[in-house]
Amino acid sequence: MKSMFKVIKEQIDNFHLIQRLSMYELKSSNRNNYLGILWEFINPAIQIAIYWFVFGFVQERDTVLGKHGDIPFFVWMLSGILIWFFVYPAITQGSKSIYTRLRMVSRMNFPLSAIPSYVILSLLYPQLLLMGIIMIIFQFIGYPISIYYLQIPYFLFAAIIFLFALALITTTISTIVRDFQMLLVSLMRVLLYITPILWPAGRFSDSSLGKIFDYVMLLNPLYYLVEGYRYALLGEGWFITAHPTITIYFWGLVLLLLSVGSYMHVKFRRHFIDFL
Amino acid sequence: MEKSVIVKNLTKRYKLYKNNSERLKDIFLPKNYGEPFFALKEVSFEAEKGDVIGFVGVNGSGKSTLSNIIAGIVPQTSGKVEIDGQASLIAVSAGVNGELTGRENIELKCLMLGFTKQQIKELEPEIIEFSELGKFIDQPVKSYSSGMKSRLGFAISVHTDPDVLIIDEALSVGDKAFAEKCLEKMNEFKQRGKTMFFVSHSIGQMKQFCEKGIWLEHGEVKMIGSIQEVMPAYEKFLADYKKMTPKEKKEFQASGLKGRSDPAFVGKV
Repeated sequence: MKSMFKVIKEQIDNFHLIQRLSMYELKSSNRNNYLGILWEFINPAIQIAIYWFVFGFVQERDTVLGKHGDIPFFVWMLSGILIWFFVYPAITQGSKSIYTRLRMVSRMNFPLSAIPSYVILSLLYPQLLLMGIIMIIFQFIGYPISIYYLQIPYFLFAAIIFLFALALITTTISTIVRDFQMLLVSLMRVLLYITPILWPAGRFSDSSLGKIFDYVMLLNPLYYLVEGYRYALLGEGWFITAHPTITIYFWGLVLLLLSVGSYMHVKFRRHFIDFL
Repeated sequence: MEKSVIVKNLTKRYKLYKNNSERLKDIFLPKNYGEPFFALKEVSFEAEKGDVIGFVGVNGSGKSTLSNIIAGIVPQTSGKVEIDGQASLIAVSAGVNGELTGRENIELKCLMLGFTKQQIKELEPEIIEFSELGKFIDQPVKSYSSGMKSRLGFAISVHTDPDVLIIDEALSVGDKAFAEKCLEKMNEFKQRGKTMFFVSHSIGQMKQFCEKGIWLEHGEVKMIGSIQEVMPAYEKFLADYKKMTPKEKKEFQASGLKGRSDPAFVGKV
């Protein structure tokens, strides 16, 4: 608990620095490509096209049943996959953020816990742009702006806190045991399929194995974020009041990750450099 | 005189592992694994503001470990280092990101040191000019020669105005003209009362620039005093060392190694 407050205080004290470094990170990560920042859209567009082809066209999935009737599969997938383009790079890049930058920063006077946060923050800008584009598309295909959009800042905030808490754990492990990074990238591929992005939860609930699968999907904290985005963007309702238990579970898990992560981070950070 | 750096009983222990599983066991299990190796053993000294101190010693005597610990890059195992202000280390290729260009490295470093955008804009041309990199400033640092890298590192470090400056062999890869320019800059620092540590194998540069000398041998302080006292003694040792037969050299190194993995000392830290 003590280390958790310490880490949070470090974030607040260095907020301006984190913000400036994240802008810098964004600029430099696309500088070597000819198309620059455009890649932040080309990549998602290609992935969306492939998933749509495989799950919408090949598997002939037309609609998904929503709160207020059927939703076209493409729209349903788009609203859920949006946050995946933030979560996926934030987890994989966040995890290696410390050991790739350690040599550079070890003698600067800012805390190491600021590194994962500025890397995560730098990925937020493309997410916001992508969200803007998807919102514009939705205006024209029958899902106009609604009062439920107010939930979006909340879910973005929840995502950032969750990703930061997770990054405190993954950066510590991957700095000490470099193999962890490999494992994480593989696990992320699995994670896409146990999150209701490409198919809805409850689709297999008629078999007993399917019930277990659904349960696993619910335990996945990304379920909360993906479904929350969907409620907001498609105007399905207020997610927090509709699913209070999942909300409590999500924040409980975040608190646990944050306290364990801070403890690990504070305990090991002085010795990170010895593992390079 | 005001003290700017106080080093007390500084010890750095590394562990030599036979394989990766030993390393993992050492992290997670309470029992000790791996063979201890003392890069530094109970090193103590004090530096005053405006002091220029040279570290001398043969390869592997602990000079670089000591400079890294003073700069705060590597944590010590035990002992204390007190520094009044911000320390900055300049070593060949240390602290620059090879993937970024020279200009980006300047920006990033200054950002991390807490400079504002406006300040960086003002500093940047000065740094670029001092580094004499010309059009290479927009090329990735990984394509630089070692001399270019150390010029960039030196230029950034002196312009960010640290209170304590540690120069680890960085001048030995630059050409004579650049070394002169750096020495000039360092003289300016000296007059402004900044403390500097200087690691070099060039005895000429040492004598020209340093006032005090610390001679390290096998991770321990062998001699400490004014440069006029330390350098002749060290030179004499070097001459003797050269004259030794291969067998004697081996014995000298073995006696040092034995002292540095001394189990009796392990319990003390």
